[in-house]
Amino acid sequence: MTSRRDFVTVTLAAVGGALAPRWAGAAPKAMSVVHESSFIKAFDDFFVQKLAPEYEKLTGIKINYEPVSVGSMLTRLTTIVETKAGPEIVATGVNWPYLFDAGLVDVTDVANEVGKKLGGWHDNIYDAVVVNRKWKAIPWGNIGQLEVYRTDWFKEVGVNKFPDTWEDLLAAGRLLKKKGHPFGFELGHGFGDNHGWLYPLLWSYGGREVDKDGKTVLIDSSETAKAVDFCRKFYQETMLEDVLGWTDVNNNRAFLAEQISCTNNAMSILIVAKRDFPEIGKVTDHGLNPQGPKGRFHLFNVQSHAIAAHAPDQAAAKAFLRWLYDDKQLSAWLVAGDAYYAPFLHGYDNHPMWNADPRYLPYKDCLRTSRLHAWPGPAGHQASESVAKYVLVDMFAKACRGDSTKDVIATAAAQLKQIYKAK
Amino acid sequence: MAVGPASIARPAPVAGRPITLRGLLEREGVFSWIMLTPGVLFLLAFVAYPFFYGIFLSLEEHPVARAGRFVGFANFVILAHDGVFWQVTRNTFMYVAVTTVFKLLGGFAMALVMNQSFRGRNLTRAFLLLPFIVPTALSTVAWMWILDPTFSIVNWLLVHGGVITSGYSWLGNASLAMWSLIVVNTWRGMPFYGITLLAGLQTISPDLYEAAAIDGATTTQRFLYVTLPVIKPVLIIVTMFSVIFTFGDFQLIYALTHGGPANATHVFSTWAFDIGMSGGQLGMGAAVALAILPALVVLIVGLTIYLRRE
Repeated sequence: MTSRRDFVTVTLAAVGGALAPRWAGAAPKAMSVVHESSFIKAFDDFFVQKLAPEYEKLTGIKINYEPVSVGSMLTRLTTIVETKAGPEIVATGVNWPYLFDAGLVDVTDVANEVGKKLGGWHDNIYDAVVVNRKWKAIPWGNIGQLEVYRTDWFKEVGVNKFPDTWEDLLAAGRLLKKKGHPFGFELGHGFGDNHGWLYPLLWSYGGREVDKDGKTVLIDSSETAKAVDFCRKFYQETMLEDVLGWTDVNNNRAFLAEQISCTNNAMSILIVAKRDFPEIGKVTDHGLNPQGPKGRFHLFNVQSHAIAAHAPDQAAAKAFLRWLYDDKQLSAWLVAGDAYYAPFLHGYDNHPMWNADPRYLPYKDCLRTSRLHAWPGPAGHQASESVAKYVLVDMFAKACRGDSTKDVIATAAAQLKQIYKAK
Repeated sequence: MAVGPASIARPAPVAGRPITLRGLLEREGVFSWIMLTPGVLFLLAFVAYPFFYGIFLSLEEHPVARAGRFVGFANFVILAHDGVFWQVTRNTFMYVAVTTVFKLLGGFAMALVMNQSFRGRNLTRAFLLLPFIVPTALSTVAWMWILDPTFSIVNWLLVHGGVITSGYSWLGNASLAMWSLIVVNTWRGMPFYGITLLAGLQTISPDLYEAAAIDGATTTQRFLYVTLPVIKPVLIIVTMFSVIFTFGDFQLIYALTHGGPANATHVFSTWAFDIGMSGGQLGMGAAVALAILPALVVLIVGLTIYLRRE
């Protein structure tokens, strides 16, 4: 290049050359599905290696599978819906069909067909995916949050069956901590294992964040105070101090390092233990969340597929979901998932995947008593804001570090009133 | 033959002469704009647009996936009445102030040592830069292990050294969690000060030190009256950059504590992300993020005025 003109000419030619193929060729007929990476690698592999090629062979449509790291799906979904760009088929969790309602396609027709073919949907799933009488997502399973415990250590202190009530669990925890086997329930700012036991604890003592109307904040109650007092005692007498700063990886790690005897988690601890720490796997079991004075509860973590409103060919996306949720595909995919996802279809209530290990069964049993975070309040934007601000988690965590019950409830009530615009 | 100025001067445009592409490109004014345009467009697209869109968003009630509604300063009024906002403000200022002092002192000391001649100096310089070179996400994972109560090497050393009987909860205790983050940020940010100040130190002429030594100046006096005045502009610039980066620090805190325990380590960036991206309240999230702006503007304007006076 000898002159400026040459420099500019060459630069423009290079840029033009780089862009030319995009202008010249039409995009191949393909669709993309975005998912949070599964803890069960075989579940993702089954989709990529079996389902996607099979669908392409059948229809000629290439299905791209885009996994995102665990805990990042909400951010990815926000970007997709706000920019109206990216994968057409998106995975949703918890209350996201409500959160992204306006950005998702009505899939009622597909849901009805799937329900009809596979024995009907569980009743409580409607709360999670049906928004204003329209199905906004098709759920494939729930990632339950249950009690994971060491059977050998519990037996050492005379507890042969997982305690049925919070008070009994506290009694067992006291004995276990004295023996050097404390509990480790997350009280920090993780994304799942904290909410997984704190919402059910609140509900089981009769406490609620907000009423059905989504306007009346109910957190300031004697029931909440009882739950907070119990939590403080439970933390001080059974746990490690560090749980206040834990995120979702810490309890898995501590359990597998034999530092704790009980935690609240998904089935991932057992699955990893069976694979990498077989000796620990043999003495690990699951229990339902204990019940309190007002019953037993679990937290919903519904995993579903939705179609983004910007999808250029919504009919094609629906056709893919119809095919994916056909028994032949769905059943095999759930088996590949090793029962990590509990389906909401009555036709699968006695699915062979549940026979693989009796320790999986509590994850099926918990579906009946599972609720979304804001329950009984509406599962909309305010519910998400409360979760993102860790209102409930911090209420309990502050009490555990020593703040008064009255103060922590007052702070939570003020935050919830601001979120729900209540007086 | 001598070439006079007139013969190398660009010929004056002749009236009526056609404008050619070649002629246009050879003109300074046109060519400089062509060269500037990509950079300006890049800045407009990736800096100016998001910045002004952020301001616009902060004035809206804008739940994700829905249209926004203009609410003026309502988001800021709500924040002013939110106890967590003030806690986050205190956290942010403490985090920035303490880490800046630590990084400044440590970085300056590092630069002074690196400016001396000793065996293995170049290798030491390379090693000292490592914290800055390693991706934050990676080094943060290492710190997660270092600060983990079960596997912490710090706790192991303290317990086995007989200093304490049981390990500290570095990230579970509210005060320790903040100090842990300060240590990690200082570790990561100090080389930036070190290497920049070292570059500044190397511009100081040895003559100045010799002259000062001949006049009988002690080491301390040479530092105070030669080194410090010469390096002051660099010191101010590097501090300004560091403060801006630290105000926006996100990865380290998000990965280590996610703002916990009980918001004890939440700063503007992590809290804004949670509200905007996890809570779906884009307007409120933008308002939180913009809350840093006044402090940054005051700092940048103040330092710029100071530098101009100097």
